[in-house]
Amino acid sequence: MQAETEHDRSFTQIVRKPQALVAAARNNVELWANLLIIGWALGFMLWQGVGFAITVGTVFAIWAILSVSLNLVVGFTGLLSVGHVGFFGIGAYTVAILTSDAKYEQLRTEAIPTFGWPFFAALPLGVLLAGIVAIAVGVVFNRFRDDIYVLVSFGFAIISFNVFLNWRNLTRGAFGIHEIPRPAVGSWVLDRELEFLIFALALLGLIMLLSWLIVTSSFGRVLTAIREDEQAIAVFGYRTTHYKLAVWTISAMMAGLAGGLFASWTRFVDPNSFILLESMLLVAIVILGGLATIWGSLLGAMAFVLLEEGMRFLPFLPAIHIGQARLVVLGILLVLLMLFRPQGLVGRYRL
Amino acid sequence: MIAQRPNLNNTLAIALTAAAAVYVGWKISQSPEQAVQFAFNGLSVGAVYALLAIGFTLVYSTVWFFDLYYGAAAAIGAYGVFYLRSQETLGGLYAVNSIVVNVIFAAVTAGVVAWALYESVYPRFRARVDRSVLFGIGGVLAAGTGVYTGFLLTNPKDLHINLSPVIALGFAVLVTWLLYQAYQGVVAARVLQGLVVITGAAAAALGVYFAYLIANAPDAKLYLSWGVSCMLAGVVGLAFYRGLYVYMRARSQSPLIMLVASLGILLAITALTSIVFESTPRPLPEALGNDPWTFAGATIKGFNVFTVGVALVGFLFLLYLLKFTSFGKSVRAIGDDEEVSKVVGINTTTVIAVVFFIGAVYAAMAGLLSGHDTAIQPRMGLLLLLKGWIASVVGGIGNLYGAIVGGFVLGMIEQFGIWDLAGEWRDVISFVLLILFLSFWPKGLLPRK
Repeated sequence: MQAETEHDRSFTQIVRKPQALVAAARNNVELWANLLIIGWALGFMLWQGVGFAITVGTVFAIWAILSVSLNLVVGFTGLLSVGHVGFFGIGAYTVAILTSDAKYEQLRTEAIPTFGWPFFAALPLGVLLAGIVAIAVGVVFNRFRDDIYVLVSFGFAIISFNVFLNWRNLTRGAFGIHEIPRPAVGSWVLDRELEFLIFALALLGLIMLLSWLIVTSSFGRVLTAIREDEQAIAVFGYRTTHYKLAVWTISAMMAGLAGGLFASWTRFVDPNSFILLESMLLVAIVILGGLATIWGSLLGAMAFVLLEEGMRFLPFLPAIHIGQARLVVLGILLVLLMLFRPQGLVGRYRL
Repeated sequence: MIAQRPNLNNTLAIALTAAAAVYVGWKISQSPEQAVQFAFNGLSVGAVYALLAIGFTLVYSTVWFFDLYYGAAAAIGAYGVFYLRSQETLGGLYAVNSIVVNVIFAAVTAGVVAWALYESVYPRFRARVDRSVLFGIGGVLAAGTGVYTGFLLTNPKDLHINLSPVIALGFAVLVTWLLYQAYQGVVAARVLQGLVVITGAAAAALGVYFAYLIANAPDAKLYLSWGVSCMLAGVVGLAFYRGLYVYMRARSQSPLIMLVASLGILLAITALTSIVFESTPRPLPEALGNDPWTFAGATIKGFNVFTVGVALVGFLFLLYLLKFTSFGKSVRAIGDDEEVSKVVGINTTTVIAVVFFIGAVYAAMAGLLSGHDTAIQPRMGLLLLLKGWIASVVGGIGNLYGAIVGGFVLGMIEQFGIWDLAGEWRDVISFVLLILFLSFWPKGLLPRK
């Protein structure tokens, strides 16, 4: 809230005195962050061409859905959850199991049931399943807060990872599920990358719209109030546990949607995509972009994807280390952010 | 807020505990041998968790935020041993020795030594000796320690020879200091100085003899690497506190900010570990007591007994430190109220820095012990951290007795839990236990007063 009023004040100053524009821009971290990241993205696109932009765009869309959804919980409601990857995994595995009808060699692995559902039937079910699990988990988690909330959310990520890894006659364990089909409407299969990108961006837009509706509604204002002072809003007669449970479930369903999208985009899922480190990465992205802003989450996801792709062009970094190097950079960024800008690049709320 | 319906919760908790006890009792009566085996496993796993939990509790009950570097310290402890002994492990197939790593650790050590000298020695001589001279001597000492650390890390093959002078020196200084403390109340002041000199000389001679023994014992290399890697983890922990957390705490009091920052540290260190040592699991070299003993129809390794011993000794040492020394009094005072301790003249920064050092050493010890027992991989740090955290919640958060009890209880329950399930579900078991405890018994077994 504070940052907005500052912004407004500087705006009126600029109208009165145009010279103040330079002064206002100089110290405006938000402006610079926006310019830098969008400029970086455009520069990259021009440099590497359209094909590259399409691939990166899909990765971005999936991460952006995830971070927008997590921001609802972490930024707007103030519950620091590090377990979101569990819902992502539930969505991904549901879509993978229901749509894939690959035939495996029965030498080393167990048989898993095949359903052969179409993508658009499996995706809602994945989202629904993520929501059901979220309700069950959220009822338990609602009692906790702060440090303990972080600990139990770590626990959720670890439990779900272990379920993906060890429920072998459903998930094939570490071998993963192959040949997940792309989404199809009748005979039109979204097989080309561009089509899938448009589909993913459409879903991202939908999620953003939904999040925007949530955070600007009275429901969203209650969430903000819970973040600021839970007891105070409880005194006014709001059932805070219900609100927390509701936003947690909605956010988990969005993560499940991202999971379904991810499964059908990579066409292969295995438990290694849903480890705890990925979840910590997601929290880092949300905080990097900014807490309690939807645009910030997009910016964070974009910065992260650009970082990851940008590292491929570093001459001194071998390709096998990129996955780890992005964690190093993000970890250091997280420390610096906590030190100098705890609300993230364009955030509206400090932890 | 936590316990909304205490009666129902109590009934449920008692029913659950009773059901579990009856079931386990029935299982034990079915096959006692297996039960003894699981109890042994539970003890040895629980010892590692207890070690983690006591260090964790020490740090947490002093600063009241969760320092996730603690997990990274466990990984550093285990990987430090692997790094120093990689020539002997797997026939040197995955031997690692990176100049960058050595330089980083050397620089961190030099910085920490410089800080320690500045905090402890500098104030005593400040009035008498010129500032630049003191800074020069201190700088040379710190740089020398750094170079020595780098030298140790670059030549892990001759660790026992390279470390022996330090052992002689350390032994002599320690024994002399202990004797000095012991004499102080007993002997007249006139005699004290002479007595200290004489016994100091004797201690030095003994130290040199020990150093000679160690320099001729290549088998000692592994255990010396334990010491070195624990020290390094501790030094890095101290450096993180003094170099980062101090400033962060000055800016913001929110524990979540500290938690997220240390999450970043953990993320970065885990990833760096996987870059330096690949992410596939690796074994550590054979340690002592690898032959299994048979006892009451179950087998147990001497190493596991040793682990339990380390946990108990570590617990007793920390108990002594906290209850009977002035350092421990300041630690407890800071845990109760940091601002007031500052007002009454405790150097809180130094005391907390030492607490971070000790905590990280405990974590590193637990990490390397569990690494010897199973295998090491970069992700282990986070898991061990979480286990220590769970153990301290189960035992009662912020309570040292609770920590060791919680560690053993967690280990036991985990091992008995995998009796019916497969071993890979044990992380799930411990988290389910955590959630049960938080729901029904949020203060833990032994609540902090």
